[in-house]
Amino acid sequence: MAIDKRLRDQGMHTERLLWPTKGPGKFETEIENLEQKVGVTTLSKAVAWAQTKSMWPDTFGLACCAIEMMSIVGARYDIARFGMEAFRSSPRQADLLIVSGRVSHKMAAPLRQIYDQMLEPKWVIAMGACASSGGMFNNYAILQSVDKIVAVDVYVPGCPPRPEQLMEGIIRLHEAVQAGIPPAYNLRSVAP
Amino acid sequence: MSVGSTELSGDAGSAGVGAENPVAWSKIHGVSHVETGHGETTLVVKPERLIEVCTHLRDEEGFNFLSDVSAADYLGWGGHGVSGYIGTAAGRDLNQPMTQGLQTLPQPKPKRFSVNYHLLSVTDNPRRIRVQTWVEDGEPVPTVIEVWPTADWHEREAWDLMGIPFEGHPNLKRILTDDDWEGHPLRKDYPIGGEPVRFSEAE
Amino acid sequence: MAVAPERTRAAIYEGTRIPHPIPTVLKVSAELEATGDVLPINFGPNHPSTHGVLRLIVDLYGEDVVGLEAVVGYLHTGFEKNMEQKSWWKAITYPERIDYLSFQANELVFVLAIEKLLELETPEKAVWMRTCLCELNRIHSHLVWLGTAALELGAISMFWYCFREREQILDLFEMVCGTRMHTRYFQAGGLAEDIPLGFYPEARKFVSWMPRAVDEYEALVDKNKIWLERTVGIGFLSADDAIALGQSGPVLRASGVDWDLRRIEPYLAYAECDFNVPVYPEGDVYARYRVHMDEMRESTKIIGQCLDRLEGMEGQPWIADDRKVVLPPREELHTSMESLIHHFKIVTEGYRVPEGEVYVTLESPRGELGCYVVSDGGPKPWRVKFRAPSFVALQATATCMVDALVADMIAIVGSLDTVMGEVDR
Repeated sequence: MAIDKRLRDQGMHTERLLWPTKGPGKFETEIENLEQKVGVTTLSKAVAWAQTKSMWPDTFGLACCAIEMMSIVGARYDIARFGMEAFRSSPRQADLLIVSGRVSHKMAAPLRQIYDQMLEPKWVIAMGACASSGGMFNNYAILQSVDKIVAVDVYVPGCPPRPEQLMEGIIRLHEAVQAGIPPAYNLRSVAP
Repeated sequence: MSVGSTELSGDAGSAGVGAENPVAWSKIHGVSHVETGHGETTLVVKPERLIEVCTHLRDEEGFNFLSDVSAADYLGWGGHGVSGYIGTAAGRDLNQPMTQGLQTLPQPKPKRFSVNYHLLSVTDNPRRIRVQTWVEDGEPVPTVIEVWPTADWHEREAWDLMGIPFEGHPNLKRILTDDDWEGHPLRKDYPIGGEPVRFSEAE
Repeated sequence: MAVAPERTRAAIYEGTRIPHPIPTVLKVSAELEATGDVLPINFGPNHPSTHGVLRLIVDLYGEDVVGLEAVVGYLHTGFEKNMEQKSWWKAITYPERIDYLSFQANELVFVLAIEKLLELETPEKAVWMRTCLCELNRIHSHLVWLGTAALELGAISMFWYCFREREQILDLFEMVCGTRMHTRYFQAGGLAEDIPLGFYPEARKFVSWMPRAVDEYEALVDKNKIWLERTVGIGFLSADDAIALGQSGPVLRASGVDWDLRRIEPYLAYAECDFNVPVYPEGDVYARYRVHMDEMRESTKIIGQCLDRLEGMEGQPWIADDRKVVLPPREELHTSMESLIHHFKIVTEGYRVPEGEVYVTLESPRGELGCYVVSDGGPKPWRVKFRAPSFVALQATATCMVDALVADMIAIVGSLDTVMGEVDR
């Protein structure tokens, strides 16, 4: 995976923060040690940490995946633990666009408009099979993958993905941001 | 009206099991013939008599609820030989040589498009009935929006997806597809669209 | 309250509030246009309170809504055309995604249509389990409706309460069907698999807990002054208007019409279940809310009765025996040649459904869900059309919004309980 390669270059490992038996991760120990020993951290690491710990999503629920996205706000799969329970309705205030659901051609223009209205840095998660690739709807009406119009950071497969799957996608995005990987619009343009 | 009664002499349709007195339905002025099947009654009507029949059904028979307006495209119907349900007498009969067992083609349809109005009577005597009318490509169907206001969006959808023009509809615009969409997607000659899927690196 | 002058319109019948000539569009009257004070606002497809991708073009005169038009189609997926390309078996996965809150009701209506054309009998166990799952789905749909509708009106904490019970229901679905949403558990002929052990005790726990949960929801909002101010007397829809506009389900029952397809045209096992149908005559948003709450209680009762019957059916078949349509059990494939051939034909070509057309309806949580299926006798459907209750419910927005304020619009659109996947298909 491209993200794994990048982390390895930085000398870090992919971590699964959702393991219950896992101790603090390498990045966390590194940060803690730095702070303890030196008392200061690099500015970009601090900024990345702040971006990750309160990355506010935009309310962009389209279809069935939106219901599973709502359930991660619920009490069982609580996303407030990661500082993300504030779903901003205004794209001007949102950092993360979780495209949850099938995107029809009619909706593609509003989607791009919302994406353009978001301020940088901004990240996009393509949630579900329909946003990642068109899903089971390989037809005239559905845009075959949302990466044709926006640059996507993380694809979360599933129809619909379980809340834990979506959280895994979000956590991986957090790890990528903390590792210093730039948002997708700096890395690649939209798919052909 | 004498015009109505000459139309229905002889075409009483088949009286199936559970048919609710098809002869009584066929006596309504404007109904061409009555079909029954699977416990459902279908009144086949010519487009020009549609509003008359619908108003009669709403006012006299109590069908005050229009449940659905469905259009169907029969282009290519019966083009490939299909048999009935394999296990039934109408299905495959392998004793017939050189036929691959295929016996029946589906019944031919009079025109390309059928517009079906599913009616329901929300009264103490609940019943369902279907009113069916047949049109060719481009032939208009009078709108029943004055009879049941709920037909508004249903007819817009039939226009959008099937291309059936409804005469007299005050707001016949595209509803489900984009405003500048070309073509009518649910027609049989409109391609399914989409993209070819690559299953391996080799393709 | 409203300063808009009386609109003169030709009536479809006396006393109707349905706008004329276009029943679904409120047009700004000429006098108001002339004042120059009318502000058109776009409640765009991406809006937190429009229950999905609905676009409302609203003309405001101060706070009064004087013009309204709903634009839909932002989620048009081409379900019906996709289903024509797949075999009957594979097409069953599609209807679930149409109304993604009551997914099993959609699946059920399509499967019932196939079974009607095939004239196939389902075994008793399948009938009762289908009833049980449909009622669980009804509660699920009402919970999500209540959570989101209350959220939009400001009762934010209701969301977490409702989703707590929703998780319990999804656990039950996962136990039986293998996945939380879009379960694909119904087959033509019955159920895909047998009911697992351990379902009945868990379901009983849920059934005993649910009425207390509904009590909690009512304690939160029922007597809350703000809730009452925002819902009582808002969005009036009379019974005649509701029938003329094709409304069904909770919206119709909240307008005083005692009409429930589970009672009038019983399907599955509803004829043998004992439940009440809540009907409220007021026709406003509060009445629709009450209908939803009472329906949740009634559904819990029905589930209890289904469990009583199902617990005595251990070991009974869960799918019909007709090998032309239903896969034979795997152990038979080793011994019987016909079973192997049947299995092969069903899996490759798919079963064939005899020629004909049917229209099957059932009572989904939103109202009358209908499925019109035309078959040409082949292995694929020729035409499938879904009559979506939300599609019709949105048509009533203009009528409910006559003389309403912009803040009421959210309450009214929420109370109509629309799911945009169903509207756009």
